[in-house]
Amino acid sequence: MRMKWRVHVENYGFLLPSFLLTAVLGIYPIFWAMRYMFYDYKGYGDMIYIGFDNFTRLWGDELFWEAVRNTIVYAGGKIAITIPLSLIIAVILDRGLKGRNFLRALYFMPTVISTAVIAVVFFIIFNSYNGLLNQFLLKNRLISGAIDWLGPDYAMLTVIILAVWGAIGNYMLLFLAGLQSIPGDLYESAEIDGASAIQKFWKITVPMLGPVMQMIIMLAITVSLKGYESIMVLTEGGPVGKTEVMYLYVYKLLFPVSTGSAMIQEIGYGSAVGFATAIIVGVITGFYFMLSRRLNKIY
Amino acid sequence: MKKLSAALSAVTLSALLLSACSGNNNGANEPSAAAPNAQSSDKAPESAPADKGPKTKLVFWTFDRHDNEYIKERVDNYNKTNQDNIEVEVTAMTENYVQSVDIAFASKQAPDILRPNQDTTIPFVKKGYLEPLDGYLTEEMKTKFGPTIQDQANQFDGKIYTLPNFGYTLRLVYNKDLFAKAGIANPPTTLAEMVDAAKKITEAGKADGQYGFALNFKAPKSALDRSAREILQLSGIDGFGYDIRTGKFDFSGFKPVIDAFKQMRDDGSMLPGVESLDIDPLRAQFAQGKIGMYLSYSAEPGVYQNQFPTEINWGAAQAPSIDGNIKGAAGFANSGQWLAISSQSEKKDAAWKFLTYMYSDELLKDYHEKGYGLSAVPSIAAQANTPAINGVEGFLLTQYDALWPLPPTVTVQGLNYGDAFFKYVLSGGSLDDIVADLNKRYNEALDKAVAAGETKAVVDPGFDPAKLQGTMLTK
Repeated sequence: MRMKWRVHVENYGFLLPSFLLTAVLGIYPIFWAMRYMFYDYKGYGDMIYIGFDNFTRLWGDELFWEAVRNTIVYAGGKIAITIPLSLIIAVILDRGLKGRNFLRALYFMPTVISTAVIAVVFFIIFNSYNGLLNQFLLKNRLISGAIDWLGPDYAMLTVIILAVWGAIGNYMLLFLAGLQSIPGDLYESAEIDGASAIQKFWKITVPMLGPVMQMIIMLAITVSLKGYESIMVLTEGGPVGKTEVMYLYVYKLLFPVSTGSAMIQEIGYGSAVGFATAIIVGVITGFYFMLSRRLNKIY
Repeated sequence: MKKLSAALSAVTLSALLLSACSGNNNGANEPSAAAPNAQSSDKAPESAPADKGPKTKLVFWTFDRHDNEYIKERVDNYNKTNQDNIEVEVTAMTENYVQSVDIAFASKQAPDILRPNQDTTIPFVKKGYLEPLDGYLTEEMKTKFGPTIQDQANQFDGKIYTLPNFGYTLRLVYNKDLFAKAGIANPPTTLAEMVDAAKKITEAGKADGQYGFALNFKAPKSALDRSAREILQLSGIDGFGYDIRTGKFDFSGFKPVIDAFKQMRDDGSMLPGVESLDIDPLRAQFAQGKIGMYLSYSAEPGVYQNQFPTEINWGAAQAPSIDGNIKGAAGFANSGQWLAISSQSEKKDAAWKFLTYMYSDELLKDYHEKGYGLSAVPSIAAQANTPAINGVEGFLLTQYDALWPLPPTVTVQGLNYGDAFFKYVLSGGSLDDIVADLNKRYNEALDKAVAAGETKAVVDPGFDPAKLQGTMLTK
């Protein structure tokens, strides 16, 4: 009995620090923010109870719904490019290629570089007046005039490219881990049966990666829907809201980006938008999880 | 046994974490190297003679980067020479200053002296962070700073919370070489001339990557507040859309300015990529001779001396007005605030002694002459020499610079005027509809803020912008 008690003390003792950290830094802020959803509060003065007015305002807030649309385009674009590309790279690097460890490290490198630094570097590459990309394209006569990569027509594409570049290494690593768990005998027997490389990929690799892929895609969906840091540095949501995504909008409401920022701190409304945004992310993720259950049952 | 000690270690770790998370009243007054603590330690009498007894330590937080070294030097000098046994520790927080101040006040660790600015003074006053200075101000000081004391800038409900030091004039900054190359003799004085000059400069220099005009449209409101603002103000129209004569927002005055900006973009006279251009990349391009002109604050001479040293032959001139008729004066921006005393400070008297040193004629004059900022105190500006910094001549105060009444602060729903007008510049549409929509939303927000007691819609039917002329030259 005493032994069992000791085990309990030990287990809970080890759990306590992380539980406290989660409670203080993760759970408490959620309830802190939820409290303000029903108030008009700008960070000073009286908190005025306004019931569901913040949500009524949200319903008619064109900027928010534009941010929702932008987020879906951004996340959709990022996932549609990142997942297949990282899977293909992982499959190639899973083979006995010379220098594969170097290449793995190279692809993974963007993951460990600061998002803000990446965004600044991308600005140097993509800005239209002296960006490296335009200079390269012009020099090789691939374009006749400078393309405004950060202008209203291409800014979303540019932030997606940035996101893809930053994410591929991470997902490649997860796919590599999944690939290494596939038993080699499956490929051997397929080879004996005369299967081609493409057949092996579609008939063995993809199905066997099912459960891993389900989790990777879910991770990619939540991360993409919540991503805003690189956009904040690169375009600040502009031009004219073309790259404004949901969490950047929430961030600007709660913490106006810079001194002289166009937005005024609105803790009450920002909390309501944050809550609605979390619900949207939760519903999309839950919906995907329901639809993707087949991936888990594939073998 | 090992398991038991492991369990004990885990519990101890948790206890440590708990104690770290919880407040420690006993330790609240301990000095901390990691977090400067205003309540720091000493209980010394505030006027202890030099070298006797413990020093009265004051903590001073600022966010200014441009004068960082100078302020440190002057504070060091004060620490060595003051006869009140006061020691000031200055901390320059270039990032997250507002958040740091909020956290410091919430945890009762506020600095004794703060640096509010045009954006933070109202929130700081409303949050109760600042101590009114009226009880400390002498009649002489009231006279000295009087011309720059302004409601909603440094004075609220009749109480003064901070005093001015420097401010920014607004000017057209132009590349003289590019103007000469395009055959233009003088900087533009009307919007039509500005559009024409931008076109000519682009035609003459496009092959070399030189364009007539640029603005930092990555932040459209910031761009308009440093450009459209003074064009409108010189034309006798408020630069933020508030008509003090009616007490309502009316953005119709912006139309000719926004149309001129759109015309320059449609003509291809703006630097490609202005949509994503921040002010520093813009300055970097100007320093490289790629931009003919832009409009900005008097921070530019310092920028081109230190941040982006340049060989180009540049100058600053009064911004154009709409039609060449000067009916008002350009705003003398961000000029009302500099230093303030924390309401939480336990050493307010000592803090005021330090402020009297910082606001002394000698220091303010030196600050102006060394080029850290144009003095916002007319008596200082009158006696000081021209700052020793290239390009500043065009930014010096003239009769066409003045303090405009500040517009009420409102929280508008939907696009602010900067974004709304910039959207028009990019993609067109009906400017009349945009103005009508802005007027409706801004006035709704104003009515709401007034009803909630958050702001006052000041009305002055007899306001005449022409009478502002010359007010900053009072001696």
